[in-house]
Amino acid sequence: MTAKIKEFPGTALSEKDFETGKILFVNDQMKAEYAWDTGTAIGEYLAGLKRGVILGARCLHCRKTVVPPRLVCEWCFRPMQEFVPLQDTGRVNTFSLCYVTWDVRRIQEPEIPAVIEIDGASPLHGIMHKLGEVDPKKVSIGMTVKAVWKPAEDRQGAITDILHFKPWKEAKQ
Amino acid sequence: MTWLERERNAPAAWPGVLPVRNRYTFGIAGERFFRALKDKGQILGSRCPRCEVLYVPARAFCERCLRGLEDWVDVGTRGEVHTFTVLHANPDGTFRETPEVIALVRLGDGGLVHRLGDVAPEDVTIGMTVEAVLRPPTERQGSIQDIVHFRPVKA
Repeated sequence: MTAKIKEFPGTALSEKDFETGKILFVNDQMKAEYAWDTGTAIGEYLAGLKRGVILGARCLHCRKTVVPPRLVCEWCFRPMQEFVPLQDTGRVNTFSLCYVTWDVRRIQEPEIPAVIEIDGASPLHGIMHKLGEVDPKKVSIGMTVKAVWKPAEDRQGAITDILHFKPWKEAKQ
Repeated sequence: MTWLERERNAPAAWPGVLPVRNRYTFGIAGERFFRALKDKGQILGSRCPRCEVLYVPARAFCERCLRGLEDWVDVGTRGEVHTFTVLHANPDGTFRETPEVIALVRLGDGGLVHRLGDVAPEDVTIGMTVEAVLRPPTERQGSIQDIVHFRPVKA
């Protein structure tokens, strides 16, 4: 719809107007620091990542295992009974080929964010992460993947301690 | 029922910084106001003949009757302290060794909020006459910082 409008009301400015001093302006930067309380469950999860383990939480009443771990079961509202280590493997639930970065830069090679159902968690339960070491054309829903971890000494208890997930085939028994 | 316990080694908080930058343009009236300050060292006001109000800094429209304001005048660089406060902290929260006085300086029927300089905090009084100290013309950027501060007028 806006494509049909030739001229918008107001004063149009271009970057050139700023460079040539046609317009006065003030640049400013806000101090926007924050600290997000990790809480018990995510705190445990991040500590687990530092050890190289993906943790889930289990509700024995509902027989559900969720990832990332939570303190309260979403189905019965009882406290979760235990944290459980899960596999660092899983399968792609859904994915996207992203040719634009988070700060809106165009890129040639796409980033591939994906939801990965983690092995050991209940069906359809997983985490969002990136896929790597894969041809974007060959990514498919249901493909099995495995976490690629940072070296232990570089891990800092963050989701980025997993670099990405890469395609992986389960060894045949 | 017992809750799962927090692990001692778990990070308590996740710190971060939001990259928030902005570029402010002054608008049509603001542009004209700051151009006059930058180029001529003038503080401009605009008068509404119907409401008999002299706006400082100058506005494009009267806030009371919404009339467009044509009558722009140089209100001079002298005003009086309407109210003031003494700051002992910097904008980032750190302690200031020397306190800073910030005042609303009344000019026309409006005024500017700015620093007071060349005066000890204990000597500032409400109603005292102050004048703007401008930066040299070559150093002016076209912002409120083109006024260094207001200082008391020596009698």
